[in-house]
Amino acid sequence: MTAYIIRRLLYTIPIVFGVMLVTFVLFNVVQGDVTDLIAGKAASVETREEIRAEYGWDKPLFLSWDSQFVNHLKNSATFNFGRSWSDREPIIEKIKRGAGPSLSLTVPMFLGTLVVSISLALLVAFVRGTIGDVVVVLVCVAGMSIPFLSFILFGQYFLGFKWGLFPVYFWPDLSTPQYVALPVLIGIAAGLGGNLRFYRTVMLDEIRSDYVRTAFAKGLTARRVLFKHVLKNAMIPIITQVVLAIPFLFLGSLLLERFFGIPGLGYLMIDAIGARDFQVISAMTYIGAILFVVFNLITDVCYSLVDPRITFD
Amino acid sequence: MRFFGVVIAALVVFIAGCDNSRPTSDSNEVVTYSAYAAKVRGLDPGDIGDTTSSAVASQIFECLYQYHYLKRPYELIPQLAEDMPQVSEDGLRYTIKIKKGVYFADDRCFEGGKGRELKAGDFVFAWKRIANIKYLSKNWWIFDNRIVGLDEFREYTKTVKKGEEVDYSRVMEGLQTPDDNTLVINLKKPLPQIVYLLAHLPTAAIAKEAVDYYGKDIINHPVGTGPFKLKVWHRGSYIELVKNPGFRAEYYPSQGAPSDVEKGYLADAGKRIPMIDRVLMVLVQEDPPRWFLFLQGKIDASGIPKDNFNEAIDQKGVLTAEMRERNINLLVFRDPSTYWLGFNMEDEVLGRNKPLRQAISSAVDREKYIHLFTNDRGEVAYGFIPPLMKDYDPGIRDFAPTGYDPEKARRLVKEAEKVHGGKLPRLTLSLAGTDAVARQQGDFYKRCFREAGLDIEIDYMDWPTFQNRIKSKSAQIFQLGWIADYPDAENFLQLFYSKNASPGPNNFNYSNPEFDRIYERASIMPDSAERIELYRRAERIVVEDCPAVFLLHGVAYVLQHDWIFNYKPHAFGYGLTKYRRIDSVRRSSYKELLRGIK
Amino acid sequence: MIRRDGQIGKELPKGRSLWSDGLRRLRRHRLAMVCLGVIAVYVVLTGLIYLDELSKWDTPVTRWDEEVGGAYEPPSAKNIFGTDFLGRSVFRKTLYGARVSITVAFWASVVSLGVGVPLGAIAGYFRGVADEIIVWVYTTLSSIPYILLILAFALVLKDKTINLKWAKLGIIELGGIATVYLAIGLTSWVGICRLIRGEVIKHKNREYVLAAKSYGCGNGRIIFRHLIPNVFHLVIISFSLRFVSFIQAEVILSFLGLGEKDRPSWGAMIDQARLELPRGHWWEMTAATAAIFFISLALNIFGDALRDSLDPKLRIQ
Repeated sequence: MTAYIIRRLLYTIPIVFGVMLVTFVLFNVVQGDVTDLIAGKAASVETREEIRAEYGWDKPLFLSWDSQFVNHLKNSATFNFGRSWSDREPIIEKIKRGAGPSLSLTVPMFLGTLVVSISLALLVAFVRGTIGDVVVVLVCVAGMSIPFLSFILFGQYFLGFKWGLFPVYFWPDLSTPQYVALPVLIGIAAGLGGNLRFYRTVMLDEIRSDYVRTAFAKGLTARRVLFKHVLKNAMIPIITQVVLAIPFLFLGSLLLERFFGIPGLGYLMIDAIGARDFQVISAMTYIGAILFVVFNLITDVCYSLVDPRITFD
Repeated sequence: MRFFGVVIAALVVFIAGCDNSRPTSDSNEVVTYSAYAAKVRGLDPGDIGDTTSSAVASQIFECLYQYHYLKRPYELIPQLAEDMPQVSEDGLRYTIKIKKGVYFADDRCFEGGKGRELKAGDFVFAWKRIANIKYLSKNWWIFDNRIVGLDEFREYTKTVKKGEEVDYSRVMEGLQTPDDNTLVINLKKPLPQIVYLLAHLPTAAIAKEAVDYYGKDIINHPVGTGPFKLKVWHRGSYIELVKNPGFRAEYYPSQGAPSDVEKGYLADAGKRIPMIDRVLMVLVQEDPPRWFLFLQGKIDASGIPKDNFNEAIDQKGVLTAEMRERNINLLVFRDPSTYWLGFNMEDEVLGRNKPLRQAISSAVDREKYIHLFTNDRGEVAYGFIPPLMKDYDPGIRDFAPTGYDPEKARRLVKEAEKVHGGKLPRLTLSLAGTDAVARQQGDFYKRCFREAGLDIEIDYMDWPTFQNRIKSKSAQIFQLGWIADYPDAENFLQLFYSKNASPGPNNFNYSNPEFDRIYERASIMPDSAERIELYRRAERIVVEDCPAVFLLHGVAYVLQHDWIFNYKPHAFGYGLTKYRRIDSVRRSSYKELLRGIK
Repeated sequence: MIRRDGQIGKELPKGRSLWSDGLRRLRRHRLAMVCLGVIAVYVVLTGLIYLDELSKWDTPVTRWDEEVGGAYEPPSAKNIFGTDFLGRSVFRKTLYGARVSITVAFWASVVSLGVGVPLGAIAGYFRGVADEIIVWVYTTLSSIPYILLILAFALVLKDKTINLKWAKLGIIELGGIATVYLAIGLTSWVGICRLIRGEVIKHKNREYVLAAKSYGCGNGRIIFRHLIPNVFHLVIISFSLRFVSFIQAEVILSFLGLGEKDRPSWGAMIDQARLELPRGHWWEMTAATAAIFFISLALNIFGDALRDSLDPKLRIQ
């Protein structure tokens, strides 16, 4: 088992390297030198050189100790992403500032979705096989088919503006729960279709297994069976889902943040697109990937601690 | 079940704990709220060029002169100067006394953190910095070829390797400070508009300590002498200003225009300003939430987004009942502004192809544009001098053959192809804005161009990126405009002066020697009938050359709630928040008012 | 199976391959057939639009840019879905939007299939170094969150030109929509690759492969003529479900300004809704949402039915 953990840990190294390589290829090789974009055609030679020196594009790509690639590796490892060319702010500052608001949106949304979907999935498990079940599936699929954007627009308009139940937009004087409430609700509602379907499938798979049939045969009530046995066993795939979703929590929800003015990482990315700020996107891509790798590692290690049969392959 | 309990408890604890820093409000504080629609690029007056950044920075920085808030026609009065300048006989030497007892706001760039007293040298430093070529200021046009020795200083800065190494103490004949409170300016030739320029935000006083301390970061750390100082700038989200505790004693004006008394603009005469403790400006880039926020009473004043126009103004052009029952007031005033689709005359395709430019001009349906995007709050423009200015040429309409005419546009495109020597390549139009309204404008232009047989691509970007693109001559066609900085049409003419090419304000990079000659002659003349004639002649040259499609002159409609006072429209007014007064009690009762309506 | 009345040897039911059995079951599933019909409608519509553009028939319906009424007219007998802010027919724009979405989904599928299937097959069949490298590449890519990867690709590839002179294809300029195809395709090949790889590994040691090897079949032939056809049903299932995500991805990219700019697309129409809804103009957004809703629903149901029918565990014996 320790062997597993060690090998698993070692395996993350080529992956992290791979991520650094991907961001490098995308943003330094394919995208390349954007001095022209920053300085413009009218700039003097000195200005262009200054810009090049700051971002390191005057160095060779790969083949030297001081190449762009080596510097990229060094910078990525130390989370030094330089300054944004549009407003001179260090990118890591922007990221640190945006993480809070994003989390305050995604964490409640995630937990809320979890609670609601699992409860509903259990309830639906009661009516499996009936016409009600078919209806539920259709409703879920319908929910999955409506674009997220539509949920947001309808929700903001009706719940926020027309019926005045929630604030329509971020406002500095509001406390976090107040301006986060409506987007969280919309996020849960929009994701309900897909999530309910998934959890229902997990529950049903468990229910079809032999030990459940035995439990019923023994005479346990449906309620007992579901809560005491099925739920516990279904937890494994559920927990996998949950832990792997954590990295995405940091990214915030691009659309929700934009429409509700929440100054998180999602809004940061959208702004970066409008400002053609490649460094910000590159930094976010890298961080997102690292988070994913870390949580994947944690999940796998936890599994190996729980299930001794797992070996590294 | 316990599981769910734990989850819910975690949720509650998490949300409660997730309060990142936001402004705490003291109930006795007087606060004003507003929303701005475009991101602020930077708060450094030397390089400022857009209205949003100016609106914020003008509360923090001050210039030698300012416009009288109430008197009309517009009149300049001293702000940081002691008095109006003493001018020599030949109009070349200006002696200005600086007020005593003016301090920069406290900031850690100063020794001991305490702001020091303003001195004449701060203006000299600010203007030399603009002259510094490494600074890349877009406001160099203010001083270009005007002050003795400054152009040579600029040449000197070209030879220095790095921006920080420029020696600002180099003596210069044109700007002298015989003592800390006296500034002497020596001009190369007479400049009648100079006092206007000295009221223009880019010429504000800058503390060298701030520049040395913050370096390139100074755009985020404004240090000024004005009534407000920056407390928080949460980039991309909101800006908070607070009253500058060290601000000197200034008072609300006691004189004004004849109708000011009945309008209530003189009710606060003689009171000490600013009367507001905190200014909160929230970035809301989309129209709908901004409108909602205004109707909900969260912001004090607002323009009217085109999609909500009918809610606010009815067919006859007056406020709707919906607005009146909320005690909302309307202000309408002509803007000294002109908006256009500009061409980059240095572009290979457009620059030497006049038929193409004229074709584009004939292809754009201005009236439709005004109707769709401004709800008819504008007048079609044929030239660039707006009707508000007395130099406006009523005959320009007949002279300009460039109204909407799709047939003519198609013919001109054929001619343009001949000039180009083949099929015309795809053109690019840069629009500042990534929101839905910008998309609509893009669609509108696409249709106009397509009707004329031209292939066009629209590039959407945010405002700071757009400015950079213009500054760096990378935009082929762009939508922009200009609002006059002072009441002299020369402010528009200088936009076409060849020496003001990018990064200066001549975004078209237009160059016509005859125009330049007339401009140089007129710009040193005091106001006269002869000068008006020269201005109009210059305008016609530009209209003939067609470096832009002139779209419209703006008319501004502003809505305000009944708890904000002293909101008089000012064509050149920046830094006016210090005059405003808020009735917080009335504002708090707005919620009940709304409940009553529903 | 022996019939009860004792007739042995005669009338043995024909052996059914997975495909024919699956298709038979699928045909019985009425809801799925309806959905297939819906999908077909969208595809045929797209085809007709292309045909119209190439042959210049210029049917009125495809003239989406034409001004048919005043601005923002509500749905009426004349304009079923009303007009937009420039007076264009929302109905025509909605139909035209199908072209954009189906085309995006199609090309994105081509790209991800074109990359994912061969790589998966190679990895699964040859294993060893090739496998390690390919697995490393796709593990790396799949570590990057989907949305970010798409944004990154779309932003970087925007306005780039690929020099394909060496392949005698000249220089291809990547316009707005082509970057969308590439971006979506390049982020989606991982799933297919994994799937194919897994299946190929399972099938590698089956008899038919060993048989093929024993009579001297080259590796390439084995992979393409034997292995891939046998695992392809999984690809089809996966696709019917992925198609939906391609369409939804296009909506998001359009909204962010990285998608199709010249033509109407459902994403752009929903984007306009931000301004229209508060004014009470609900028709453009509803039309676009409905269009997306029906194709997504149809694809979801059909995909599920397809998976059920091709599932060997549920075969009718």
